[in-house]
Amino acid sequence: MATTMKTTRDVKGVGLSIPRPDGPEKVTGQVQYVADLKPRGLLHAKLLRSPHAHARIVSIDTSRARVLPGVRAVITAADIPQLKRKAPTRAHAVLAIDRVVFVGQPVAAVAADELAIAEEALDLIDVRYEVLPAAVDPLQSMKPGAPPVAEAGTEADTSEALAHGSVSGVTTETKPAKAVNISQQAKLGRGDVAKGFAESDVVIEKTYRIPMVHQGYLEPHAVLAQWDTNGQLTLWASTQGSFNTRSEVAEVLELPENTIKVIPMECGGGFGGKIRALCEPITAVLARVTGRPVRYVMTRREELEAGNPAPQVIIRLKSGVKRDGTLMALEAETVIESGAFSGAVLAVSSVFLASLYLWPAFEVRGFEVLTHKPSIAAYRAPVAPHTIFAIDSHMEQIALVLGMDPVEFRLRHLQSEGKPMANNQPWLNNGAIEVLQRIAEHPLWKNRAQWKASGENGRLRGTGLALGGWLGGLQPTGATVRLNPDGSLQVLTGQVDIAGTNIALAQIAASAYGVDIDKVKITTGDTDVAPVTGLSAGSKTIYTVGVAVMEAAKNARQQTLEIAAKEMEAAVQDLEIENERVVVRGVPDRGVTLAQIGKKGNLYMSKVPPVLGVSHPAFSQQAPAFCAELARIEVDPDTGEVTIHDFVVVQDVGKAINPLGVEGQMQGGAVQSIGMALTEALTFDDQGRLTNPSLLDYKKLTAADLPNIETIIVEKPAPAGPFGARGVGEPPIVPAPAALANAVHDATGVRLTELPLTPERIALAMARSSR
Amino acid sequence: MAKQVLSFTLNDVDTEVLVQPYVTLLDALREDLALTGPKEGCGTGDCGACTVHLDGKPVASCLVLAMQARGRSVRTIEGLGRFDALHPLQDAFVRLGVPQCGFCIPGVLMAAAALLAENPHPTEKEIRYGIAGNLCRCTGYTKMLAAITEVAGAAPARRA
Repeated sequence: MATTMKTTRDVKGVGLSIPRPDGPEKVTGQVQYVADLKPRGLLHAKLLRSPHAHARIVSIDTSRARVLPGVRAVITAADIPQLKRKAPTRAHAVLAIDRVVFVGQPVAAVAADELAIAEEALDLIDVRYEVLPAAVDPLQSMKPGAPPVAEAGTEADTSEALAHGSVSGVTTETKPAKAVNISQQAKLGRGDVAKGFAESDVVIEKTYRIPMVHQGYLEPHAVLAQWDTNGQLTLWASTQGSFNTRSEVAEVLELPENTIKVIPMECGGGFGGKIRALCEPITAVLARVTGRPVRYVMTRREELEAGNPAPQVIIRLKSGVKRDGTLMALEAETVIESGAFSGAVLAVSSVFLASLYLWPAFEVRGFEVLTHKPSIAAYRAPVAPHTIFAIDSHMEQIALVLGMDPVEFRLRHLQSEGKPMANNQPWLNNGAIEVLQRIAEHPLWKNRAQWKASGENGRLRGTGLALGGWLGGLQPTGATVRLNPDGSLQVLTGQVDIAGTNIALAQIAASAYGVDIDKVKITTGDTDVAPVTGLSAGSKTIYTVGVAVMEAAKNARQQTLEIAAKEMEAAVQDLEIENERVVVRGVPDRGVTLAQIGKKGNLYMSKVPPVLGVSHPAFSQQAPAFCAELARIEVDPDTGEVTIHDFVVVQDVGKAINPLGVEGQMQGGAVQSIGMALTEALTFDDQGRLTNPSLLDYKKLTAADLPNIETIIVEKPAPAGPFGARGVGEPPIVPAPAALANAVHDATGVRLTELPLTPERIALAMARSSR
Repeated sequence: MAKQVLSFTLNDVDTEVLVQPYVTLLDALREDLALTGPKEGCGTGDCGACTVHLDGKPVASCLVLAMQARGRSVRTIEGLGRFDALHPLQDAFVRLGVPQCGFCIPGVLMAAAALLAENPHPTEKEIRYGIAGNLCRCTGYTKMLAAITEVAGAAPARRA
């Protein structure tokens, strides 16, 4: 890339708060999601799901369902020869073969003319089960002798971790040990932990527990599948990664990838839950069997019972410190309950436990444990809120026991660039210190003593803050930038826009090429036409696709200048783009318009090549991103109910490409984790059945439960990010549970280590402590 | 089961359509009348994504049978404002950057429009309760509040 190129100064692009161009479509109900599509001849699919957490399938009789008028297909595992008993992922377990391993696992599938007919057909399928003992508690399930979940010899699935920031230097063990349900293990250590504890003045040991929660996207999983007469499959999908969906379906159904086209429709929320294929393979099979387009939309009950939620995480921390605040030793054990299939982000959590604060001696053990529950998937910074809930709650307790200022104590031991992580990799450039310092300057923190003293009528008031972050993901990607015959720009990626990233990518293209944003159109192409793009996950869309778009735009700019240089008989380095014209620097009268150049690339017999900027980078440098959050709350001493009066998010985003979109990410991420902190939990009975399978019983926060979320953007440029940007989406979901637990402690004096912080838990803990 | 004639006023237009007597108003709108603006997020009245106006009042259309709308007036998001002539709430939602995934937005807008029709100058608390039947997972509601407050012309009170 020529060094003479520079960003044109006065272009309307990076840094402006610009509303999303798809806003009008969204507010008028015109934007199309999968369930809005209704091609001619459409059939509706339903799945018969297991009522048992663990059972042997003795027999399946579909004969009565098959003859119901309007039913076009009824299939079981016997009809899909590609299915394997040792399914390595949930996607491979399209239908249960002869054993079910969680409540809600699909056993048979129906396609019918009407949804009501498909539902009726499910009632006519007779399945006989032999119920088997189920492992529903991870701490029991990891013991030898527990009922086995996976078929012996099934390999662990660690692919999820790669999108979310992989780490090296961790000893991972994926071969099943004696305990058959331990599917992954991680071990990290440094220094003499026993000696560290022996020399400590204070030792604190606590176990933190965070239940399974659902990502909560409003649009349930949905897919539409159709085959053409040449054996080509088209999938209209609600996905965070159309290329990933294509690969998974191709692998499961043993199809060549280029026979599948995935069209990513508007994604009605994903948050990690729409990365992996879930109902795409079975819908494709039904469409093939019937020769008709088939649409499958999960119900909310199916989502809650048999989606792919975030795991339950149990973290035991034992720490030893000196009276003067010196850290001595940390012992950590983390258990991640992965449900019926492997796939947890184990290594990153294990590394984070001993990396955020600098422990001279530590030993971390991590376990991924299978249970007879729905298998888990990513949820916005997967297991980071859980990990930080443990770490930050713990640091706060140590500071309070030692009588030290909790912010100063954190800052004293906090990592910084170059310091070794637990896996001996150096910490990369990040803004952890800056966001913590910034939030500690906030009046709500400085005035916390007055707030605490101001409660009337026995109402308890408190303030808490926490610091969290994540390493940031990487994935190769591609983008093209074309110059149109009218001088406008056309950006093409395959990146699904789940977070308002397309407008930000267009702003990057505008600034890198040198035209205003209103001259840039960006398109998310399907898998047949778009350059390969990665998942919209791991806070890496702007960080990686942004680089691809920036480099493709620079490439297009260079081509444009070279064409203009020939036309004008000038040197490329003397040219610049101003007001949609290429001009000789300092001689604004001499120029050629972008439209003239674009037109020449599209003329019959023209010798001018069309401008096509291309970039397809791979990446090696992550950009850790940090966020600090503060909650000012009030607790009702009688009921234990928490009211949040103020909530502040301070986040290092490197560079806010579009501040309006960044604020939206910060506010939404914070509220998701406030829900995780206060109300949300998938609750199961001892038979592995979900006891709250509706949005009435699974409580998500509403506008009436919340204050406005204040956002403070910090910009510490990421060295390899486009215009200095780093990941934005994940960090704001990380610190809130710890901040709220710290605030509850400040208000009530009780320390809760299990989420959610329900009124019952708070009231009971207060009653116990006053006894 | 034999289909029945549903005649009603839909977005100010007299409308007749044949529907199964067991279908919900939401399904009739989406599947029989091709108005896919109202969304199904739960089917049990808990998420508000299917909110429409029935005789001017917000209802969860997934909990109303289509035939219950006979002779009555229904307004969906498609009848709130047009793409080229947005309702002030729609315009404010776009300008202030409210929509993210957008799935909840039609329901939120219908709830907010009904609120302002009944109470043109609501307090912040009244706005929060006015859309408390609508779940949104992307925005954290803050920008939604700002947009509705702007349209209501209400003083941006910190807390009611």
